Amino acid sequence: MSKDTSAKLLNKDEFRAALEDAIKGREAKNASFSMAWANGDLKREHFARWAENHYHYVGPFADYLGYIYANTPDHATDAKDFLLQNMYEEELSDVRHTDLLMRFAEACGTTQERVMDPKNMNAVTRGLQGWCYAVAMREHFTVATAALVVGLESQVPSIYRKQLPPLIEKYGFTEEEVEFFDLHITSDEVHGERGYQIVLDYADTPELQQRCLDIVRAGAEMRFSYTKALYDNYVAPDLVGA
Amino acid sequence: MPTIRFLTSECAVQFPDGDDVNMLRVAIRNDCGVPYKCASGNCGTDRILIVEGAENLSPPRKRERDRLGDLLDQGWRLACQVYAAGDCAVSWDPEQKPLDASAVDKSLPNSVDDRIKNKWLSKKDTD
Repeated sequence: MSKDTSAKLLNKDEFRAALEDAIKGREAKNASFSMAWANGDLKREHFARWAENHYHYVGPFADYLGYIYANTPDHATDAKDFLLQNMYEEELSDVRHTDLLMRFAEACGTTQERVMDPKNMNAVTRGLQGWCYAVAMREHFTVATAALVVGLESQVPSIYRKQLPPLIEKYGFTEEEVEFFDLHITSDEVHGERGYQIVLDYADTPELQQRCLDIVRAGAEMRFSYTKALYDNYVAPDLVGA
Repeated sequence: MPTIRFLTSECAVQFPDGDDVNMLRVAIRNDCGVPYKCASGNCGTDRILIVEGAENLSPPRKRERDRLGDLLDQGWRLACQVYAAGDCAVSWDPEQKPLDASAVDKSLPNSVDDRIKNKWLSKKDTD
């Protein structure tokens, strides 16, 4: 990560704008797989491959948050509460989020065994998962929250709002089969906003703010690369000679 | 610019023309005091009564329909599930708690207490 020693402490409005700027140009909704998805160019087997990869990125999300939770000092009660609430919602509050992903995966023709088998993820997905674990375990809790919640999770509503309608209208899935996407459009609006607030409140030095900006940029690049790799690995080969 | 008026907390928030914004996210970002808990359309803590501008809101989502039942017809929505694309005004009870399942399913006992008693206590215990 670069260190900008000339940086000054940004006020909250300036810092929020800088965080939003750090994502711009790297949004996963604009990656090739997302574009093909929204344009109706994918087949069910492509969604099956997506599910077999996505499970290994989002499946351990509560684990990532658990590491951040353990690194968060007691005085940051609101940050701890947010992390705990987020973990609870991923796993227990209603339906387990990965169960909804599994429902979609099965509608795409793959199986629970295939989805859970880590051998079915590609190398870029493995890199994204490893990056999430490393950041959660090793970074300051504010920086890790910036990475995983602002850089990654807060992008979800904009991605899925574009991808959900074609799932029903173009690809013919039922409302029940695509509940995973519907749920995350709204829940990640709130998770994203709460994540922003924690980063705005606790990144209280120019150095911490700079580290947050750098890692949000890196996180957005990771998610963009992960999404692009899905196209490169599973869609592009189908187009050769088509 | 369109405005969301949060009547109970006397808070008004503008957003750019052409945008549509999640109601609970706006409320949290601007400290407008809408109570909430789960943010995924499950608990119902963030229910809001639409006083004006219902036509400027996104149609009810599946979770909202499932969770609110008849309350939806009475003008209630879940802030976490609603996107506003134009002017609107909303109110709520500042003390409101999560929706009990019996609020929408009349076949269920009236309170969590009753359900727990029914499940765990014998008739002899409650007589």
